[in-house]
Amino acid sequence: MNLVLRLLDGVDRPRLRVALAVLLAALASGASVGLMGTSAWMLSRAAELPPEHALALGAVGVRFFGISRGVFRYTERLVGHDLGLRLQSALRLLTYERLARTTLLGRRRGDLLTRVVADVEAILDLVVRVAIPLTSGAVVILGTTVVLGAFNLPSALVLLFTSLLAAVAAPLLANRLSRAADAAAVPARGALADVVHEVSRTAPDLVAYGADGAALAQVEAADAALRRAEQRAAWVRGVAVAIQVAAAGAAVVAALVIGGHAVAEGRLDRTMLAVLVLTPLALHEVFGDFAKAAQTYTRARVALERVEAVLDAEPVGRGDLDAAASDPRPGIDLADATIGWPGGDPLVEHLTLRVGPGERVALVGPSGVGKTTVAATILGLIPPRSGSVAVRGRVGYLAQDAHVFASSVEENVKIGRRDATRAQVTDALARAGLPVDPGLVVGELGSTLSGGERRRLAASRLLVGDYQVVVLDEPSEHLDPETAAALLDDLWASTAGAPTLVITHDPAVVARCDRVVRLGSATAEG
Amino acid sequence: MTDHPSRDGAPVTGRGAVLASNLPRAGDAAGLRGSQGGAGPRRTRRGPIDPRLLRRARATRWFLVALVVVGAAGALLTLAQAWLLSRGLSEVFHTRDAAPLGAVVVPLAAVFAGKAALAWLNNLLGQRAAASVKSQLRTDLLRARLERPLDSEASAGGLVTLVTQGLDALDGFYAKYLPQLVLAVVVPAIVGVAILTTDLISTVIVAATLPLIPLFMALVGWTTETRTRRRWALQTRLARHFGDLVEGLPTLQVFGRARAQVEGLRRTEDAHRAETMATLRISFLSALVLELLATISVAIVAVTTGFRVLFGDLDLASALFVLILAPEAYLPVRQVGVHYHDSADGMAAAEAAFALIDPPATTGEVPATAAPAVADAAGPVPLLAVRGLGHTYPGAGGPAVSNVSFAVRRGEFVVLTGPSGGGKTTVLNALIGFVRPTVGDIAVDGVPLSPAALPAWRRRVAYVGQTPGMVAGTIADNARLGDPDASDADVRRALDDAGAPELPLGQPVGDDGEGVSAGERRRIATARALLRIRRGGVDLLLLDEPTAGLDADAEAALLRGLRGTGLAAVVVSHRAAVIAEADAVVEVGA
Repeated sequence: MNLVLRLLDGVDRPRLRVALAVLLAALASGASVGLMGTSAWMLSRAAELPPEHALALGAVGVRFFGISRGVFRYTERLVGHDLGLRLQSALRLLTYERLARTTLLGRRRGDLLTRVVADVEAILDLVVRVAIPLTSGAVVILGTTVVLGAFNLPSALVLLFTSLLAAVAAPLLANRLSRAADAAAVPARGALADVVHEVSRTAPDLVAYGADGAALAQVEAADAALRRAEQRAAWVRGVAVAIQVAAAGAAVVAALVIGGHAVAEGRLDRTMLAVLVLTPLALHEVFGDFAKAAQTYTRARVALERVEAVLDAEPVGRGDLDAAASDPRPGIDLADATIGWPGGDPLVEHLTLRVGPGERVALVGPSGVGKTTVAATILGLIPPRSGSVAVRGRVGYLAQDAHVFASSVEENVKIGRRDATRAQVTDALARAGLPVDPGLVVGELGSTLSGGERRRLAASRLLVGDYQVVVLDEPSEHLDPETAAALLDDLWASTAGAPTLVITHDPAVVARCDRVVRLGSATAEG
Repeated sequence: MTDHPSRDGAPVTGRGAVLASNLPRAGDAAGLRGSQGGAGPRRTRRGPIDPRLLRRARATRWFLVALVVVGAAGALLTLAQAWLLSRGLSEVFHTRDAAPLGAVVVPLAAVFAGKAALAWLNNLLGQRAAASVKSQLRTDLLRARLERPLDSEASAGGLVTLVTQGLDALDGFYAKYLPQLVLAVVVPAIVGVAILTTDLISTVIVAATLPLIPLFMALVGWTTETRTRRRWALQTRLARHFGDLVEGLPTLQVFGRARAQVEGLRRTEDAHRAETMATLRISFLSALVLELLATISVAIVAVTTGFRVLFGDLDLASALFVLILAPEAYLPVRQVGVHYHDSADGMAAAEAAFALIDPPATTGEVPATAAPAVADAAGPVPLLAVRGLGHTYPGAGGPAVSNVSFAVRRGEFVVLTGPSGGGKTTVLNALIGFVRPTVGDIAVDGVPLSPAALPAWRRRVAYVGQTPGMVAGTIADNARLGDPDASDADVRRALDDAGAPELPLGQPVGDDGEGVSAGERRRIATARALLRIRRGGVDLLLLDEPTAGLDADAEAALLRGLRGTGLAAVVVSHRAAVIAEADAVVEVGA
């Protein structure tokens, strides 16, 4: 709920929107209580055989509540959804801003990122199915108590008590019970997700090596475990629902007993008895909302806690590259630098590396030694652990796994230079060896491009920008030698004179560099 | 009625996009496919119930029957409740004495206790009803996934969501919606008969208005169907836009463009929200109509009975009985609508599941031209003969690869080479049967490769893909994938020969190969292939860029190891050292 309050700050006229949504929801639920109450009163009053006009007001009330309920409900849903969607947007923006502030290059956080995307949507449920029904339900219960209290205080208090039992205590108990049961199902669900994920990611290898049958058996076992856990959860949840139904029944029975005695003792007008007894029946709908809200809350909370963990995480590094720096003498200068993630182990120690204008230096070393972390440090995205790192000039970086956005090729290229013209984009594409129409739209994750084409699209971002220092991460990976050579030619023609650091395994690329620095030994050669 | 919702998603933010990330989602047709989210917009209308979901319900029919019985029993208890309450209330009203309550309170409490018990039973049965169908769908989905290992429609994340949350949304369908369809007829009938025994006029009012609810619901439903679907499409698109941005954050950060996207994201969100609200205004109309009809009808019943009590035509007990029961007659019908909406996510998930389980036939499924596989007159039958092979992916503009022909004799080392994106990997995937070529044929020992022969053929192949899959466990577990019984010594030797002597057997491999680098991955997969070869029965090696990421020494060692097996091999590679080893080089896509 704190999260909701935090997000409300970013919404236009938050108090008005919240108040309106709650008011309309309360009016909608109140209308069905009112319909039952006025109808019960009207029938009782009619049984006293009064003059006809005595029923007129009741009849008007019944008709009013009959019509207004639907209208209130419709407007409430609109206002509530609008609020929920606004908060969802606000949460997306906030999450994005937080993530943008922390350096993500070279960190394996893929699963976390994909999960956050889905988790953020829980905020809509939290508003529409939890916050609004709960507050409006409370308003209706209190309102009904006050109105009835004007006629007969004890039975109004009984109504309040049994309502609290049915609306608050029963869902809370239900929630506690089912949370325990659900918690037991969580590992089973996680295990199933893991197996499915693995089977999906490794399907070609499983099939090629005849391990598909075993994999399927694993899935079935995980499913069976989940099913058993869910069965237990359903049993418990059933008990909770039963308690709730019983509590609602208790409200009716108690009202009947207390109201009946009040009538017998002359403390209650007999026309109010049916009102007292039947109102809890109409409140049943509100009780149901409370129960659903409690269940939704449990689910949404887990998702939003994960989002909050992302929001509250200490930023690592600076997130965004400082794109503005320009220098008349660009270069990379690392002196006895120790490199590693803040809070993690040092990956590379005592690295001295100097790349001056016109120089091309290859950085080689075994996989996993931290070459991309060196790149992140040179880019200034994370600070060195010790030693000095000085980079002068605007740095362009060609990533090993550059993301291709589901957008047009042109928009993708312009990430390298926001104000590039169509002609500049076309030119960059041509030089990167990808002569496609800039207006071409690439699908989700660039799925309509091959690995090599994606690399060239990424390279064209570098070519379109005016970069003074260039860092290339495995530029020839997955390209055929001619294309790779041509791409390097283009990159080097376009960035002639710029200090260039090339992270690579490829001997052909190493051969085209002026010097080689090996990580691990950290000694410069030739 | 069929519409094409992916067509109506006009780009809303494309205009005036200054930032690269403003990302107009014009790629919907392709971009929205493949995961649960894409299912909604792609749905073709099938009426309220998908027949395939109904067929699956057979597995769980006794639970469904039990749910209906429980629902009907609940209706009978509601009758008892109304009768007891109306008697008790009118007795006290007329006698002004609480004594008559003694006879009412205990049975009334028993009725509520009975209702509570039924609620518990209902919950239990509902879970059971959905569980067996979900288990069945899960297994079918994974089986389908393994039958088409390269199916790009199912991203791993999408499949996980579908198998867990997506199918869970089916609970509402089987536990509530299906039984409610029957109860919507049974309960009003029970309640209607009860009201009829008390008051004819109220029965007439209820009987006249009740059928209007499904009628109006259908009418409004029809007219808002497109809108509802559009809303689905909008929300999916918005979520994907956000997901795309988040996933691309590292890329944006290295260009110093991450924070600058906030403004674009805000604009996209605002535009989409405005549009979503416009569709909601219409799609909530059906609920409005429902509520209006039901509550107005109850109000009419209340007012008319009130005046008839006044004129002495009806006693108070009967009037109260009718008043308590009237909403109960409408409730089950209204709940059909509620449960339908609750299970909409589940139905969308089911639709996505069915699309993966039995994919729609595409032109790509045309059987390969049946060229007779006769032995080459000049020599012995080659191990593998590829003739005129071509493949067009469903929905692709042109062929990924066309007119590739070559033969591989036993012991021969064939290298596939050619420009990136030329279709080399597609050829390799056709050889192992992951892709069924749209033209041409592949013959093994002179016999065309049929789907039925694939399992046996795959046992004769050792395969290393471009990005080999890693299962969670240890490095040894991964190497043993095709030969679970291999000894540690065998695994060690295979890893050494694959150029990975430094990798310890027990080193843990996390989810999706976490903890091993791309190069290590490839070498572990090579060890996997070598182990299978040592087990025997293998005739062919299929390798996709086996030496990518290796230095010259490791590359030479690996090549020696591969040639040392004496097996036929088809290798995709650009590397000069590999091509130099080749007995034959096949240009693909040049």
